Amino acid sequence: MAGNKPRASSFSRNFSAASNTISQIPGLKHGPNGTMFLSSGIPDLDKILGGGFTLGSLVMVMEDPEAPHHMLLIRNFMAQGLVHKQPLLYASPAKDPRGFLGTLPSPMFSKDEKSRDRDVEQEKGLRIAWQYKKYFGEQNSEFQRDGKSEYCNDFDLRKPLERHFYSGQQIDCISLQDSADLTTFQDRCSSFLSQTSRNDRNITCAGRIAIQSLGAPQCDFSDKECDMLSFIRSLKSTIRSSNAVAVITFPPSLVSPAFSKRLQHLADTLVSVKAIPDEDKELAKLLTGYQDMVGLLSVHKVARINTQVPTILEATTFSMKLQKRRSLILECLNQAPVDGSTGSSYASSSSCSGSSKTGSLDF
Amino acid sequence: MPELSKNAPPPPPESSHPPPRLPNWPLENSPPPPSSKLSGLLNELLYIGISLAGTRPNMAERICRALRDGALEGEHAPALTIKDSIQSPFGSMVFDHVLSQLSSFIVAQKSQSQGIVLVAFSRGPLCYEELFESKGNDVASSNKWIRVLDCCTDPLGWRSKLMESGRIANFTLGTSTTASLYKNVKDLDKLLLAITELGKELVGDGKGRFVVAIDSVSEMLRHTSISSVAGLLSNLRSHDQVSCLFWLLHSDIHETKAIAALEYLSSTQASAVPITRPVNGQRGNSEKLPFLEQNLRGGKIHVRFKRRNGRVRLMSEEFCIEQSGIKFTPISSEAEMIAQSLVPKVQFNLQLSEKERNDRAKVVLPFEHQGKGKTIQIYDGRKSLNEDKPEMQYNSVEKVQTVKDSGRGEIIYFRDSDDEMPDSDEDPDDDLDI
Repeated sequence: MAGNKPRASSFSRNFSAASNTISQIPGLKHGPNGTMFLSSGIPDLDKILGGGFTLGSLVMVMEDPEAPHHMLLIRNFMAQGLVHKQPLLYASPAKDPRGFLGTLPSPMFSKDEKSRDRDVEQEKGLRIAWQYKKYFGEQNSEFQRDGKSEYCNDFDLRKPLERHFYSGQQIDCISLQDSADLTTFQDRCSSFLSQTSRNDRNITCAGRIAIQSLGAPQCDFSDKECDMLSFIRSLKSTIRSSNAVAVITFPPSLVSPAFSKRLQHLADTLVSVKAIPDEDKELAKLLTGYQDMVGLLSVHKVARINTQVPTILEATTFSMKLQKRRSLILECLNQAPVDGSTGSSYASSSSCSGSSKTGSLDF
Repeated sequence: MPELSKNAPPPPPESSHPPPRLPNWPLENSPPPPSSKLSGLLNELLYIGISLAGTRPNMAERICRALRDGALEGEHAPALTIKDSIQSPFGSMVFDHVLSQLSSFIVAQKSQSQGIVLVAFSRGPLCYEELFESKGNDVASSNKWIRVLDCCTDPLGWRSKLMESGRIANFTLGTSTTASLYKNVKDLDKLLLAITELGKELVGDGKGRFVVAIDSVSEMLRHTSISSVAGLLSNLRSHDQVSCLFWLLHSDIHETKAIAALEYLSSTQASAVPITRPVNGQRGNSEKLPFLEQNLRGGKIHVRFKRRNGRVRLMSEEFCIEQSGIKFTPISSEAEMIAQSLVPKVQFNLQLSEKERNDRAKVVLPFEHQGKGKTIQIYDGRKSLNEDKPEMQYNSVEKVQTVKDSGRGEIIYFRDSDDEMPDSDEDPDDDLDI
């Protein structure tokens, strides 16, 4: 599973007592370069992105018109926000977006399930005397299983979120279908974000905005691409100065290529989902675990705030699987074992010591 | 090395993916109660039963059955787009076929819905009466299960305006009890209301569901914009009482954006395409004619079916037009490979499966046996050791070491080349015995 190890520099941030309260706020944790993370709701995605979604960033998800996988991402994102009692704003082109709240998944608590036992096995039985082990202490604290609230929950997609998570929560649902333009929605977003702005030193909570299918054909403003672009730009600038994360999904096949490219450049974190064909014998031969896969997820860009150093991932495409049919896991694509005796399989394989060039020179 | 698959042969997808709570498109209301999920599951099991029995339902039947089974509660209704073009202008025949299949299911009370609301834009209600008569459905009782919203006779209300002002003689077309005239196709909100009212008339207000069939969305797009048509279709899909809907579209008269929007909204697309001619050398006029004739009488139909778990099934069949209607046959020519873009940058599997983990646990590590009474052996690269290793893939050029499934296991080591010096394999650390 490709993880993204945090860049360990020789400088470390001196966390004063005041900011230690942040680590006590459930759902937030410190990231590199003075940023803070909140969880996406999918543990594997958090690991891939290096901790989660950076506060103040704009996450764009490119949909595939043939598969509803972007809904999984949005559902987990919203459910995580409700579990951590973070205010939520949800907008969709449906007439009654409140109904969508009934489909959010329920968190699985670790006492019910041994969900992540594969990581625990790693260090069993090995004692390595290694001077750098102290730098990795932070990572292990993520997996607290002693009943304290976890940074990121595993969600059971088959069980709906219980009622008590909704009560007393600030959840705004907005329907985009009937509005002729985006100005009212923009005002709603600004007022939502002003609650979580970064002006005061102590943050009390982080906010989440989830916009589903911006640019869907049902909305009247979908042809007005300039308006949508200026809305996204103003949203991005407002978000940058507030403690919130916005996740926006849009269908790139339904908008013009120029608009789609602009949206991709505007995003801080860019992810796309793709459908896979059913009963495809070629894919079944090429990939292990094809039977369990429901789709593919690619990470194109990872947020880079307060730093000039880009994040380069080991792998960018992951398969989406449902573990035991209820929780979403992301795995690196694994090639099926090839028959080694021929030897020619290496010539035809796509990777050669990590690079993706299939040249005539094969080592 | 054959792939270690857990189930051999791979089960039909229905059994490995019973409907999890991944709906087609955004769920509106509370999640489905177990009973309807169970009925969905039963239907899918029924498909397994049929396919295992050896009589696979053909593709057209499958589509009709998927429509017949309709929507799970809280889910958007399945929607079928039937596309055709000038090269293969048989969309309306496919539409008629689906319509008559669904009506026979409804009359036999085998489907989720109890009635059909047919929104007729390109053909009038009389046409449909003739269609039903020819299929053998009883027209007299048809007002129990079908209503036709007639948007064909007077779509913009001009005729009635002219009749009111006396410009043209007052004449009535043969009206049927099932048809109601609709005169305002530019206003899609009113059209939505009219459709839903007709549906409620048919099935009552409670739990009943109805099917909506739109004769030609292309006609609708003549009068209104794509966003209002998309709004209408998505509102219909999310309506509680709509069980499924299907519509006809002529793909070559619209811009790609409109077609993409309609594909986005539908869960199944069936496109009628002409049979392609093989490219072989000279093509004189004499050769073209048989193809033209062939395409006048039939063609191929490609179906893209979006399954609930997010995978897309692609199917193809041939069809031919006969006196009695349309007939579907499986593809007779050599199977076409539908090339899909493969996934980039696939890595090797670096993880161990359960079996491999067990095998690894059985490894007798080097030098472990030393000090237990056996003589110490220094590995010199020529003999194979009695060791066990799990199968791991390397990014190097070494030949793959195979696993033997015996209790102790063996490593079979293939040397890179036989004329290597035996000493070159020796590991200088071998004489360490930590």
